[in-house]
Amino acid sequence: MSRAGLDDVRYEDLPVKADDRIATAPVSQRRPTPRTSLIVVLPDNHVVSPDRLAERLPPEGAENVDIIVACAGQPVNLADLQRRVRDAQFLLAPAGTSTEDLRELAMKQAPGDIVSLLNGVTLQTASWSERESLNFR
Amino acid sequence: MSSHPSLSIVVPARNAADTLVYALCAILATRLPRNAYELIVVDDASDDATATIAARHADKVVRLSGRSMGAAYARNRGVDLSRGEIVAFVDADVVVRPDTLPRMVAMLAEHPNVDAVSALHDAKPGARNFVSQYWNLLLRFGEQRHLRDNAQFPSGCGAVRRSVLLAAGMFDEWRFPIASLEGVELGQRLQGSGRRLAVIPELEISRLKRWNLRAVCAEVWHRSTLLSRSLGYQRTRASTPGEVVFTLSRSLIPGIGILGSLTLVAAFIPEPRVAFKGGVALTVLLLTNLPVYRFYLRTRGIGFAIAAVPVHLVVQAVSAVALCIGWVLRDAVGDRLRDATTQAYSEVGLEKWPPVPRRSVQS
Repeated sequence: MSRAGLDDVRYEDLPVKADDRIATAPVSQRRPTPRTSLIVVLPDNHVVSPDRLAERLPPEGAENVDIIVACAGQPVNLADLQRRVRDAQFLLAPAGTSTEDLRELAMKQAPGDIVSLLNGVTLQTASWSERESLNFR
Repeated sequence: MSSHPSLSIVVPARNAADTLVYALCAILATRLPRNAYELIVVDDASDDATATIAARHADKVVRLSGRSMGAAYARNRGVDLSRGEIVAFVDADVVVRPDTLPRMVAMLAEHPNVDAVSALHDAKPGARNFVSQYWNLLLRFGEQRHLRDNAQFPSGCGAVRRSVLLAAGMFDEWRFPIASLEGVELGQRLQGSGRRLAVIPELEISRLKRWNLRAVCAEVWHRSTLLSRSLGYQRTRASTPGEVVFTLSRSLIPGIGILGSLTLVAAFIPEPRVAFKGGVALTVLLLTNLPVYRFYLRTRGIGFAIAAVPVHLVVQAVSAVALCIGWVLRDAVGDRLRDATTQAYSEVGLEKWPPVPRRSVQS
């Protein structure tokens, strides 16, 4: 993994949600259902429509679903994305960060027991497996 | 490939940071379009970076917390999340060839009467040390020798129709908390319910795991005790002759029989010479092992075959003792059970994540 500039990764903080304590609780703590995370990876210079992204994601406030949008570089429409997908945590890595590195960085932030990873490039023409990934149990 | 059924690939992994990346890259390099399958990695409570390595390539990563529940349990959690009509299982230390998975899918698509298909170990395992070579070649020997009547579903790399797997009750996660014979047992169960399992000899996989003699002996000990205690020797032997325990014991048991006879005869010989009788017994054992040694000779040459003789004898001795202990335990104590806490959780139907192992039909 290329480590160039990874120290510069920024995390866009969101208002603390009530159930965020669960995410930091010991993993061995018993829960009746798995916690789910969704990671959307947006590589360099990729522009994704906020509306398109939002409609592909679980509904706002969906229980036990954490959304992380990992971007290489700062998307030009970051403010729009943040406004449209309010529950998401945005992870901004330096421009040039590879898709694999973005996935790895996002995985380290994801609190879920089940983590689905989507490639933002294919969001508009998602394969069957990626579409199914959004059907959370 | 669009006419082919959809495929879910489930990779169970525990502390597999060293090998997982090779396993996943081999899957991605397969001759299937990326959108034709989903890749699910189930991290069985690893202590290393398995989950983050998995995230670099997988569509879904399942993180099981707490203590390890075993590969059978991990595979079942992957199946729970999978959506494909066919589910393929690839171990975290297995490197598939580019055509392995496509040909498995094609086989199942073109032959409706085949319900599961699996590949064989190749003759070139990833780890180059002697014991790794010895062990992987022994697995290959067992598989090759009984291609036609090999009913096991090797979990190293195999594909099965999802509907068939669900109908069979998936892997037995209750009885197999440690990876070992769950594929043998599933294969037996599938065949018992009238399903057809196929092995394609041309399809091969490489194992990357590095073995040493202690690890091989521990594996043989575990497989042998589990087999004789939990599954019953005769029942499983009849349907899974390719299992490595039988590869060991097939020649061992006649050897033990002859040794017993010689001992009986020796009791009537005045001035018995222990060294002579021991030599005869050893010769008999070596002769009964000849097919294995010939296999090593063919694949690796005379030096390797000679070096394999003492190792094979040690492994056989471990297997023999373990089989006997398993039989005694089966009669004296009964089938292996889960720990008390897991049993109690199961009894009350506790809802938690990760879920309590499901009781199998047989238990």
